[in-house]
Amino acid sequence: METIANDFTINIATANGTGSQSANLILLQSLFEMGVPVSGKNMFPSNISGLPTWYIVRLSDNGYQAPGNRTHIQVLLNPATWDEDLASLEPGSVVIWNENAKMEMNREDVVSYPIPMSALARKINPKIAKLVTNIIYVGVLAELLGIDQEELEAAVAKQFKGKATAIELNITALGLGRDYFKDNLSKNDPYVVEKRVIEKPQFFIEGNEAVALGCLFGGVQMLAWYPITPSSSLAEGIINYIPQLRTDDDGNATCAVIQAEDELAAAGMVLGAGWAGGRGMTATSGPGISLMQEFIGLGYFAEIPSVFWDVNRVGPSTGLPTRTQQSDISMLYEGSHGDTQHIVLIPGTVEECFEFGWKAFDYSERYQTPVFGLSDLDLGMNRWACEGFEYPDQAMDRGKVVREREVFEAFEEFGRYLDVDGDGIPYRTLPGSGMDPILYRGTGHNPKGVYSEKPDDYFELMQRLKRKIDGARDDLPAPILREEDECEIGIIYLGSMENTIQEIDDILEATGIKVSQCRVRALPLHSGVEDFIRRHEMTIVLEINRDGQMYGILRKELPNDLITKLRSVAYSDGVPPRAGIYAKLILETLKEGDI
Amino acid sequence: MSDKPARAIKLNVLNEPKDSYTGGKSSLCPGCGHDQISNVIISAAWENGIEPHRVAKMSGIGCSSKTPAYYLGQSHGFNTVHGRMPSVTTGAYAINKDLLYIGVSGDGDSASIGIGQLIHAIRRNMDMVYIVENNGVYGLTKGQYSATADIGSKKKKGEPNKTQPIDLCALAINLGCTFVARSFSGSKKQLGSLLKAAMSHKGFALIDVISPCVTFNNNDESMRSYGYVKENEITLHMTDYIPHFNPVEEIEVPEGHFRDIELHDGSTIRLETISAEHDPGSAVAALTALHEAEASQKHVTGLLYFDNTKPSLAEDLGLVDTPLVDVPNEVLRPNRETLDKINAALHS
Repeated sequence: METIANDFTINIATANGTGSQSANLILLQSLFEMGVPVSGKNMFPSNISGLPTWYIVRLSDNGYQAPGNRTHIQVLLNPATWDEDLASLEPGSVVIWNENAKMEMNREDVVSYPIPMSALARKINPKIAKLVTNIIYVGVLAELLGIDQEELEAAVAKQFKGKATAIELNITALGLGRDYFKDNLSKNDPYVVEKRVIEKPQFFIEGNEAVALGCLFGGVQMLAWYPITPSSSLAEGIINYIPQLRTDDDGNATCAVIQAEDELAAAGMVLGAGWAGGRGMTATSGPGISLMQEFIGLGYFAEIPSVFWDVNRVGPSTGLPTRTQQSDISMLYEGSHGDTQHIVLIPGTVEECFEFGWKAFDYSERYQTPVFGLSDLDLGMNRWACEGFEYPDQAMDRGKVVREREVFEAFEEFGRYLDVDGDGIPYRTLPGSGMDPILYRGTGHNPKGVYSEKPDDYFELMQRLKRKIDGARDDLPAPILREEDECEIGIIYLGSMENTIQEIDDILEATGIKVSQCRVRALPLHSGVEDFIRRHEMTIVLEINRDGQMYGILRKELPNDLITKLRSVAYSDGVPPRAGIYAKLILETLKEGDI
Repeated sequence: MSDKPARAIKLNVLNEPKDSYTGGKSSLCPGCGHDQISNVIISAAWENGIEPHRVAKMSGIGCSSKTPAYYLGQSHGFNTVHGRMPSVTTGAYAINKDLLYIGVSGDGDSASIGIGQLIHAIRRNMDMVYIVENNGVYGLTKGQYSATADIGSKKKKGEPNKTQPIDLCALAINLGCTFVARSFSGSKKQLGSLLKAAMSHKGFALIDVISPCVTFNNNDESMRSYGYVKENEITLHMTDYIPHFNPVEEIEVPEGHFRDIELHDGSTIRLETISAEHDPGSAVAALTALHEAEASQKHVTGLLYFDNTKPSLAEDLGLVDTPLVDVPNEVLRPNRETLDKINAALHS
């Protein structure tokens, strides 16, 4: 039989809360250490224990990180999804199944490897058999695919850092799985793992942890947060790193952490911190941003630096709380009532999560306005390969803050909202300074900050705010362009779609279609985006939602002659984007457009 | 030119005239209780020798929340959103714990839309003075009952209130608030002493001030009218404030029984017994006084409850001594070697 090396997808079906996540991470880590390009997607439920969970491991020498378009190896442990999982397999797929699950194996057209997982687990320790069952299948996969024992043991040690009993127990269980396969079954499938040379050492990290590190290197001084999936691990990442990164020898920190009573309060605290002259932030998800809308408008109108990270999950309403989507784009860009416009930073890689983590504070203080980081569950909570983080290449920018009396006195005229430099960005003084003491307000105000309902004051203020935020466009992260020569079709995409775009591109290319790519990394849009559209006959805006929110923003802001060049391909089912689905939709759209 | 000698301007301990503590002209209705409170805030800050620029004036939305424009014109302030002043104050406090935060709120702000934020600010024992200018009605929206309206009380228009009121003092005491007082905008001396004591307190100080609304709720059938409150006020004790810069020996000791409570900055609040002695260290006594007053349709005023044993939020946050706003950038951003270490640890 011809072998298939490093190009297949394993789907592991278990129940939540059974310890399967540790087993899956050990599998992923050991493959990673062997130099195999691999990605893991945790498809977990909103539940502590009992509901179905799937973990998808994709091995791909091409470096594809999206979940594959089909399952090649199915690991079956969960009776609740057994029949459905089995039915969805293509003929010839491999099934590793728990013989003790009291479920039928009713497919004849698959390669079947029955393993008495529960019985083997009970041999080790009947009391924790349920937890050990998971590591048994990792042992089976190791034997079946040829995963190094050494790498497996290193991954176990990493997973259970310093816990000798747990390490020993798991290594024994791995051995039992391995031995059972060796002694009782013989390999009858083409799938193998081959070691690859690691050219540049990498590590795995979740986007949320990368943002957390970025924020701490950005000098965050206050984190106010309310727990919500999938953002909690971002806030907890900051909390976990404060002792190491932001605490002095006496144990006193330079970053305050307040667990707020709700998202409204968290947003209020962020504004309070910005008003007082500090770098405040919160981490939340769509439902939290919904609750923060009123404060977001205040931050925009009163011009208060404030940073909000949104780890997007599936909406509307409670939606699918543990699934991924890019559906908060419009809400962030035009958040709150009235005319508003906000800066949104959109990382597509863990390196950018770190970079935008610190940059968000600089932009927020430079433009004196709320700044959003838009991540999503896929980028935030799954593990991604990273070569390392780069130290900030710019000094902290605290913006136009007048701290000294002499500087203040040198102003011919001072007004909190006076546009001295013509860039729409006024100067501010801080509470406690005694300089230009004003009552900040969410009501209409004149350039001095005094209450005003005069038509001219309101009109000029709104025009200046527009000028200020529009002025940020080309100062924000520029789009990443990958252009083909004389290519007629462009694709605009954003965020975590970065991890699927190459595979989409390859599928299109296999049908003879070449496309250029433009990854938008910030709102308001950089002028490079418009230039990209101008250079192409047709541009598809690709996004993970139903309505084409980025497409809507482009349509609103582009000149008329470019609008007709745009097409929307928007699709979302909660699962991280699979290349096949989007490629098919793009091909259909191109067909409609006669290109 | 007048040949009359200029009258000596009275100065406080910082050599500041009272003018340094005033604000803009009020746009509230003439006679509004809130304006009286603003005047007491001005006097208290002046008499206490507070540096005006070290005060942060915080408020929400409503008639009361407009008043920070009318006092302490040398202080920065923030007129935030409805009911959310506590959270904004919390964030500012985390960044600059050394300012004196004076929050002004109304009964709509504090007992309805913002009650959750008030509760959690009390739980955290954040250092601030929180004044509720409590008149039982929404003024800016023209006279709807608020959640503190007393049962049986009738405002100028409409039916008497039938819904159980929320007593913010009782609520605060049950939450372990460390300084709880009630006063009346017409009692300038009592309110002044309580306010100065609140400014000297470390922790959350709530002063619920009955402050009649002359436009919508000052009729005879209202239990929050000037007339009704004057007739039905039960004063727990006479209050005197002795600032730390004014040694106690110089103060005339009253005849009869009194109790001195030392405050965080070394100042003292002296409570002189009127009839029965009230123990502000007893939550039970305070709640009893509140319940008895409510049962007899009276308003009890004075320092209801005081506790100086709890850590304030600043202590709980575990921060460096320097207010975070003054921590330099190079301390806030870890150095390059630290990131190298992080990268190395992630690689291992």
